[in-house]
Amino acid sequence: MRKITAITITLALFVSGAAYALTADEIVRKASAASYYQGKDGRADVNMVITDSLGRTRERYMTILRYDHEDNGPQRFYVYFHRPSDVEGMSYLVWKKPGEDDDRWLYLPALDLVRRVAASDKRSSFVGSHFAYEEISGRGPEEDTHELEGEEDGKYKIRSTPREPGEVEFSYFVTWVNKDNFVPVRAELYDKRGKLYKTIEALEIKDIEGYPTVVKMKASDLNTGGNTVSEFSDIDYDIGLEEDIFTERYLRRPPRRYIR
Amino acid sequence: MFRRIIKFSVDRPKVVMGIIAVLVFVSLIQFPKMKVDTDPENMLPGNEEARVFHHRVKEEFGLYDLIVLGVVNEDHPEGVFNPSTLEKVYKITERIKGVEGVISHELISLSTKDDIEQAGPGAVRFKWLMGQPPYDKEEALKIRKRAMENPLFYGTLVSENGKALSVYVPIEKKDMSYRISGEIKQIISEYPGSEDYYITGLPVAEDTFGFEMFKQMAISAPLAMLIIFLLMLAFFKNPRLVMSPLFLAGITVIVTMGTLIGLGFTVHIMSSMIPIFLMPIAVLDSVHILSEFYEKYRQAGDRKKAVLDTIDDLFMPMLFTSLTTTAGFFSLAFAEIPPVQVFGVFVAFGVMLAWLLTMTFIPAAVSLTKASSLKGFGAREEHHEEGAMNAFLKFTERTALRRWKVVLAVTVFLVGFSAFGISKIVINDNPVKWFTPGHEIRVADEVLNEHFGGTYMAYLVLEAADGDGEVFKEPDMLRYIEDLQEYLGEEGAVGKSTSLADVAKKIYYELLGGDRKNSVVPPTKPAVAQSLISFQNSHKPDDLWHFVTPDYSKVNIWIQLTSGDNVDMSRVERQVSDYISDDPPPFDIKKGWAGLTYINVVWQDRMVVGMLRNFMGSFLIVLFMMVFLFRSPVRGLVSMIPLTVTIVFIYSLLGYSGKNYDMPVAVLSALTLGLSIDFAIHFLQRAREIDAGKASWESTAKEMFREPSRAILRNALIISIGFLPLLAAPLVPYKTVGVFMFLIMVASSIGTLFILPALISAMPGVIFDERKNPSCRCSYCVIFGIIVASGVAYVLGGYSIASWKTTTVISIGVIGAMAGMCNIVSKRKICVSGE
Repeated sequence: MRKITAITITLALFVSGAAYALTADEIVRKASAASYYQGKDGRADVNMVITDSLGRTRERYMTILRYDHEDNGPQRFYVYFHRPSDVEGMSYLVWKKPGEDDDRWLYLPALDLVRRVAASDKRSSFVGSHFAYEEISGRGPEEDTHELEGEEDGKYKIRSTPREPGEVEFSYFVTWVNKDNFVPVRAELYDKRGKLYKTIEALEIKDIEGYPTVVKMKASDLNTGGNTVSEFSDIDYDIGLEEDIFTERYLRRPPRRYIR
Repeated sequence: MFRRIIKFSVDRPKVVMGIIAVLVFVSLIQFPKMKVDTDPENMLPGNEEARVFHHRVKEEFGLYDLIVLGVVNEDHPEGVFNPSTLEKVYKITERIKGVEGVISHELISLSTKDDIEQAGPGAVRFKWLMGQPPYDKEEALKIRKRAMENPLFYGTLVSENGKALSVYVPIEKKDMSYRISGEIKQIISEYPGSEDYYITGLPVAEDTFGFEMFKQMAISAPLAMLIIFLLMLAFFKNPRLVMSPLFLAGITVIVTMGTLIGLGFTVHIMSSMIPIFLMPIAVLDSVHILSEFYEKYRQAGDRKKAVLDTIDDLFMPMLFTSLTTTAGFFSLAFAEIPPVQVFGVFVAFGVMLAWLLTMTFIPAAVSLTKASSLKGFGAREEHHEEGAMNAFLKFTERTALRRWKVVLAVTVFLVGFSAFGISKIVINDNPVKWFTPGHEIRVADEVLNEHFGGTYMAYLVLEAADGDGEVFKEPDMLRYIEDLQEYLGEEGAVGKSTSLADVAKKIYYELLGGDRKNSVVPPTKPAVAQSLISFQNSHKPDDLWHFVTPDYSKVNIWIQLTSGDNVDMSRVERQVSDYISDDPPPFDIKKGWAGLTYINVVWQDRMVVGMLRNFMGSFLIVLFMMVFLFRSPVRGLVSMIPLTVTIVFIYSLLGYSGKNYDMPVAVLSALTLGLSIDFAIHFLQRAREIDAGKASWESTAKEMFREPSRAILRNALIISIGFLPLLAAPLVPYKTVGVFMFLIMVASSIGTLFILPALISAMPGVIFDERKNPSCRCSYCVIFGIIVASGVAYVLGGYSIASWKTTTVISIGVIGAMAGMCNIVSKRKICVSGE
């Protein structure tokens, strides 16, 4: 009996030792791939409910299309707004280019206007929600230095410190990544004075077409007491989107087939 | 009953002293429980509509009370837009974020604001206005250019000439402002340079005022006491006896404040003024006693007998002067302003306490004074005959008796002159002006309001009448707001205003490529909506909700005033109302006001109107008392004449001097009434007592212009000079109290000594007519009827006779009916036979 226990412990040590062999950088890259690069492409309807400290809510309903060149590599997004009704038809195009500034276009149908939005930094709000732009499209793993702080109930705890602290409002953030599927389930952001001011949580994870997918997530602003909950539905991967859709001219002419 | 108490005090002085000592001790141990409240907002009850609305607006639009830090650089050619100054501002801003009580994420500074700008052809960019301190001159100037081009920033964050910028520090609670501004000053001192820093804003002014007020209590009040002591010493030349009125005043203040604190009331700015009001009132009675005692001691020889005689003589006038003063202050309990109620009730309590102490403590103190130490005490008539005071009294006597027509003519002229002055009174208040010019808060206020669109915030909230419908996304509505803002800007008072229309215009203009001609409200509702949702892609999307609620049913227009004067705020309020009624908005909307600048207007109105009402009420109550005291409506009316002249004269000086009728002046009206009547009571009551044993008014007058008049003059001198040190206080309300005290004493003593004897000379028979039954005189009866009817009308009419109401009509009818009854009553048998 004692022998068996000893073996189990040895095994456990071995296994966890093997896991520890992964560097923090590797974990972050895997996490990035697992949360932003499932499949070759994908689509989802997103319902965002933005709640402020008084409990007043606002809704955003949109369809997001994604097209990847390679895992953790360049990527394109197309965001089409359905609601609120007076912004229907508004759309965004994002060309994500790891290592350099993203290109972002905005189409406003009421003004019949396509405008490039220079992304001097990606920490601005995503349409008034508590998610920053890069929290929707993914923050490049190479933008921070990562440090594995340990493991907590089956999750890696990673502390990431920005390489360019002047460009972001946080001094560092801590992420908990599931060990089994590398889905990040919680992030905590600390401000320049070391105070926790924002959290992002994965509230529900589902297996969709073999990919573990966060279908409900929440960003909370601890300063103001507001939060945003995003729910993803009609998720579909590898649907064969053409790269062509992700160009400026499709902003005015949305690809109805995928937007529904 | 009272005679027995007084006798007891004389016979067993140690017991009385013991009881008083216990009372003082019990009161003193309450003091550590003191809770201080310096928030003028509490002038309004917590459930007051304006206040509830103000708080709802603050909550709905995420607004906070703001401390304004101004940074001015006059030396550098580029003003504050040089790398060194901006770096300091950046660092100071970061440090302020860490101060406890500061809501750091809502701090408004160059480094915490996001801006939209052109970023090359066909592109816009959201970028922090000052993400980090600029490296060089060009970058500093770029920040200046961007700030100037953003309607949300120029005139608010940066001055138009670029010499000044400001940091708005939102705080959790107003009563933290004094501490926080102190900590900000500390931080600033660590960044020396050619910049000048100024801190202002209503919360700071109000909180600092509260702080300095309590400090002044510890300086001004004792200083006034010292002067009073020296003056009394000059008159009575016996330090031991002279100490007793001072102790009496001290005991009165300690016990009154102890009771207030012990009962759990907070010490508000108003209640902190209780001691300064109580002291002169407390001293007054004892000066009368000492004065009389001083004259009587020589004749009686025995101090106990002399003090008992003195109190016998003075009992009625002292009781009534205390009662009238009490009535004046107690009427404040009907004001709808909680701190004023507390103030009124406790001053009234203190006045009665002072009276009781005068009846017990003073006799006991005299009794405890060794006979030897009273050696040389008392009037030396022969010496006094030559004094300046006697010369003055001789002059008064001659004038009042022989030239009474001149005196009365001058009086009538004075009333006319005063009435004109009163018509020129401006009702206005501004907490910043409670500080004397030259005080750092006044200086900061002037400098910053010169550079910026104004540091006084008021919020005009427009609300869709039906509660929803996204009215404020409608371009017509936004254009209406834009026009309204433009109109307010042209009319003066408003230095700058910012609204949702400005936000929509700025975004639309930048989205369309930064062409000036596009600086307009977006043309359609979806265009407005899409411009505003684009704004929410910034770093600070929530900034939008300071201007509109998320359902677009309410907007908040930020209005900056360069002056915190209530008249200016009221003017803006009127302009908005006029504008809206002349040019109705395209949609049905309701409007409301919030912001501290506006709240001040609300409680000022309440206070001024309330005070006027109370004043009328107390005037009537005092008149009643006089009718009762002198057992004749005519004597009652006559006794009110000097006081009326005094009051109208003093208030006319406000009109002529251009000093505003503000909160301290309003409160002082209660004191004016209570103190002005005192001399008349003393004079008339003593005159009647003396006249009872005299053949003619002339012989009565001879006696009246000796001791009784000297007591009045002494009192007037002691109080008026005693309170002059208040003029040196750095707080305007203290100066006002000093000036008023001086004016009340001088005007009412002179008024009493000239007008009353002149009136008596004109109709001695009426004043000294001691007939038992006044009901036999039809005219007396009618006057009495009028007094009663107006008293009843005042109560029924909601404590107001200032306005014409149904009750007014009814009471006129009642007066008519009573006149008829009077006629019948006065023709009764006894009356006719007695004639």
